[in-house]
Amino acid sequence: MNLEDEHSALEADNTSSTESASPRKPASFFRERPPQVMEVAPQLLRRWSRRDVLLFGMGAIAAAAGGGYLLPQTTLKRLGIIHGKENWPKKEWLLNRSLRIDDDVAEALYSKNRLVPTYTKSQITPLRNNYNGATPNPSYIPEWRLTLDGLASGLSVVLNIRNLLASFQVHEQITRLVCVEGWSAIAWWAGLRFDDLLGAYPPMSQAKWVRIESSVNLGPWGNPDPYYVSLDLSTARHPQTLLATHLNGKPLTVEHGAPLRLVAPVKLGLKNIKAITRITYTRDEPPDYWAKHGYSRYDGI
Amino acid sequence: MPHSTQLDKERIATSTPESEAGVLVVRRHQLLVRCSHWLNVPILLGLILSGLSIYWASPVYQHKPNPLTGNADPLADVGTWICAHVPGLHQYSSPPDWVYNHISLGPGMLAVALRLHWLCAYLFMLNGLVFVIGSAMGGGWRSLLPRRTDLRDATKMFWYYIGVPFAKLTHLSWLHPRFNTKYNALQRAAYFSIPVAGLLSILSGWAIHKPMQLYWLTWIFGGYDKARVWHFCLLWLFVLFVVPHVILVLADGWDTLRSMIVGWSTKAQRSEDFSQ
Repeated sequence: MNLEDEHSALEADNTSSTESASPRKPASFFRERPPQVMEVAPQLLRRWSRRDVLLFGMGAIAAAAGGGYLLPQTTLKRLGIIHGKENWPKKEWLLNRSLRIDDDVAEALYSKNRLVPTYTKSQITPLRNNYNGATPNPSYIPEWRLTLDGLASGLSVVLNIRNLLASFQVHEQITRLVCVEGWSAIAWWAGLRFDDLLGAYPPMSQAKWVRIESSVNLGPWGNPDPYYVSLDLSTARHPQTLLATHLNGKPLTVEHGAPLRLVAPVKLGLKNIKAITRITYTRDEPPDYWAKHGYSRYDGI
Repeated sequence: MPHSTQLDKERIATSTPESEAGVLVVRRHQLLVRCSHWLNVPILLGLILSGLSIYWASPVYQHKPNPLTGNADPLADVGTWICAHVPGLHQYSSPPDWVYNHISLGPGMLAVALRLHWLCAYLFMLNGLVFVIGSAMGGGWRSLLPRRTDLRDATKMFWYYIGVPFAKLTHLSWLHPRFNTKYNALQRAAYFSIPVAGLLSILSGWAIHKPMQLYWLTWIFGGYDKARVWHFCLLWLFVLFVVPHVILVLADGWDTLRSMIVGWSTKAQRSEDFSQ
């Protein structure tokens, strides 16, 4: 149907609203059809009404019960529907299932060859320090080492920042970091490609996942609270997945994960772990800090 | 009468005695359209409640931070104002969270809110599919399409609605504008824009959800931050639609409300204009 046809359809309607349309004129596809009027015995009509309104009522009760059941426990507690620490494992299973479906969709959408948009230096925005707990004391930086585990060689490799910067090419990119909370920032990163590290220190052959850990991460009261994320190897091999050493042309500060952090723009900010101390390649999906708190595991955006 | 033969065909032979005259009813809403209409109620409620909890984590609309409290969220201001001015709420434990505590799942519940939002969002998309199938099967989509005469007719309807309360008060007769379509121009505008808004909500939702893989979609909405604004403006559109929608349906009477449950209406005479 082209625009011309649509116009004639509207035209046809126009005429029918003032005068009866000519019966010879073929009815347009877009024209409203006359309503279907039927004669029904009042008895039958009453029976239909009763049946349908009863069905509707049952549906409404079922929807209210089902919808209420799916509300979070905290909300139900505040509404006074449940008391104490009741847990409904089946509900958790159902909701986590929908989270997995959404993760599967994200994984299906991901392509290793699709690059994320890049920006110009004039588009850079301030990047906030979103350490969930306290920002670590920078005293760890001089002693910092990166440990690689789960390698094809079967050995552990320990590297310092000078080794890394000397043996790998530094790449720059200006990309957007998107937080699960809804804010985002455009930042200018520089560092080595994760893919290059994978090439230089190949993981064991069965490896499909990476566990990345920061042992210097702190909890809200300054207590040690190691942070760890799971990352699929396909994302690690993405050309824009960096192990960043620089932000906005300067070495990373302690707020942004000095001396080495992950920048994976195809993932939510919470996967972009700061102050990495250990990288372990694994066959099975490793645990993830925020997934344990009810967030999704794949986090592809 | 070009359509009379068609009408005769639709007539249902009933086995009731001759003494009880039949009632003329007109088919209004296809079964699947009715189902999707009512399913929207719990789904949209779930989306809005969980959506506001997600919003709380990083409010889209922000003003300059208040120098005393550091607050930049207008919804937190509304909560503070309500707790300061509504009697009985002066002792409320966290006034800035009042709005979020009452029209969302609650603040600080981002993980559970996201999980529920995805569930409802997938259900909303499936429900949209049910609506599309239902309106294709019943042909009801034709009644929603905008027409050239809509602006003129909508103005007529607008003045009619403005005049109704005065006419009722003064007992003057105030004639409903005549139209021979399923919906009047104002209804049509509303019922056409709501599925469009639903589609835009889904698209802007995906633009926020997958701004890297679907970057072209995010670009269409003007970038990541603007896509969030779109998503929230569409929420306001839904609210602006639902409030008068419910009021007008209740004002119009039982037949109109029932027709969305049972699918037919006894207001058949209005439709008879078609065949005259």
